[in-house]
Amino acid sequence: MRITRRNTLSMLFCLLAGVLVLANPARAENPFAEVKVVLQISDPNPFKQTLVLNVANNLLKAYGPDKVDVEIVAFGPGLRLMFADNVNKGRIASLASNGVSFSACSNTMRNMGKKLGHPPELTENAKVVPAGVVRIIDLVKQGYVLVKP
Amino acid sequence: MKSIYKRTILSAACAAALGGITPSVHAANWLMLQGTEPAGAAARAKVWGFIQPEFQRTDDTKLEAGPWSGQSAIFNQMRPDLKSSEGFNVLRARLGVRGEGMPLDPKVNYFLLAEFGNNGITRQGGGSVKLTDASVTFNHIPGARVRVGVFKTPGSEEGLQAIHVFDYINFTNVTNGLLLERFFDTDGSDTYVTPAGNSGAGGSANRPNGPVSAFRDQGIQVFDTFKKGDWEHSYALMVGNGNGITRGDNDNNYETYLYWSSEKVFGGKGPRRDGWKLFAWYQDGKRTLDAYWDAAAGEFSVQDGEFDRTRYGIGTTFRKDKWRAAAEYIVADGVIFNGTDGGAVPGAAANGPGTTASFNVEPEGEADGWYVHGGYAVTNALELDVRYDVYNRMTDVANKERKFDTLTLGAQYFFNKKSRLILNYEIRNAEAPNLADDHNANKILSGMDNRIAAQVLVIF
Repeated sequence: MRITRRNTLSMLFCLLAGVLVLANPARAENPFAEVKVVLQISDPNPFKQTLVLNVANNLLKAYGPDKVDVEIVAFGPGLRLMFADNVNKGRIASLASNGVSFSACSNTMRNMGKKLGHPPELTENAKVVPAGVVRIIDLVKQGYVLVKP
Repeated sequence: MKSIYKRTILSAACAAALGGITPSVHAANWLMLQGTEPAGAAARAKVWGFIQPEFQRTDDTKLEAGPWSGQSAIFNQMRPDLKSSEGFNVLRARLGVRGEGMPLDPKVNYFLLAEFGNNGITRQGGGSVKLTDASVTFNHIPGARVRVGVFKTPGSEEGLQAIHVFDYINFTNVTNGLLLERFFDTDGSDTYVTPAGNSGAGGSANRPNGPVSAFRDQGIQVFDTFKKGDWEHSYALMVGNGNGITRGDNDNNYETYLYWSSEKVFGGKGPRRDGWKLFAWYQDGKRTLDAYWDAAAGEFSVQDGEFDRTRYGIGTTFRKDKWRAAAEYIVADGVIFNGTDGGAVPGAAANGPGTTASFNVEPEGEADGWYVHGGYAVTNALELDVRYDVYNRMTDVANKERKFDTLTLGAQYFFNKKSRLILNYEIRNAEAPNLADDHNANKILSGMDNRIAAQVLVIF
């Protein structure tokens, strides 16, 4: 490949972008988001499941998926939202395809597993984090706005 | 410019993608709505219910002919008391709990409902509160959910649908006569053979031995729904006692229920979603009478008699935007509820000596009927409805055949999504088609009044 000034600039740009992504390992999907929001669901009320998904959807509609970074963190009774057979799994998949992240609390999974006799099966769109509340604190430190619908 | 172009493309793509985010549709058919909970999103115990206070009125035209001439006609009295032609009544007041008993396990859910109102459920069989539904559903086997307990049987749309979204106040004649089953110990013929001295007002009237079926039975049901594109295909197989609610089995015979429906879903969710549904159903079993008129022997038998009872039907429903429609055809063979002697109120003494009016059952009769319904939502708050129904009772015996037809004009005013006022005016007719116009049967039936009814319905 012939090295030109233009190619050099492009490579430098990609390298810089890569460094930015590595510097923020928690949120690699959308490093250029102008608005960053973490949504907490920890409530047993089933209506809250619909509400938190609606809020995520509304954020995407308001800012556009390329301008907003949304992560839903579930712990405690709210973890049911991310169960594999949850009735909202279709909505979760759609939101995930538009960049919304779903984080499931490992501590909650362990406690639920004791009651169920096996760990709960989660939707493939959820990623497990060590502790839901710690995840929220970390995201807030990174500039995320915490919203608990 | 290029950047703007790319952003526009990106925005359009995002908009298209977001447009594809459809709200989750809780399985929106009666089998699923009543038998399952939204997996992983149901409450441990969701308290709910509804109240239906109402007013009904007829002109109270008296019986024109027959042994009870001049007395009250049963068809002009308010149910369930049958003591007045007009008045107020809290027809239904139901309180229930449903959900997932252990929210961590969405594979098991339950449904509990009790009736506190004044109707055929609570009026008969003692007590003022009756359990109408108590069931548990197991959702472990894909394609074969299992529901056990007492619950609505898979069958006619009018019976299977949730009563709190019913567009009218009174059931059609055919549903009331053939499917809202009354259970009797005898066929009612004994009042005619009882010596006069033993039969007085109310003394030996044949009455139901407990609550009406309320379109329910105790048993086990296997069911599920399968989605293919816009279509939902559902099935149900059930085996039950064939003995309604609040009682166990009485004859070691089981009732078999089969149900199928296919619905093209237009949109929405819940009991009022838009769609076009086709359905068919079948139920078959036996009923045991402790005593009955044995036509072959020409005598009144006091030995237990078992009689086949079969019902089946086919129908369709349609709901889209402002339009609603439904139609159903129902056929019955055996154990036909045949009204009362002379059209009188059960327990009424005849003008002459010796006879008390009773409810009657024709163990080996046949019947059929149908209805069509249409509705239009004039505004979000006002819906107009019209329904025409026909019921042909005892079609296998010419002189016993009776034909009932009713044209119901209705209006519903929605205060909000869960509170509404229903107004109905029923233009009612009945005749004995194979008897002369001046026959007593036709004189009696010509006294069937039109009926007005108003009902407030609040769901909570």
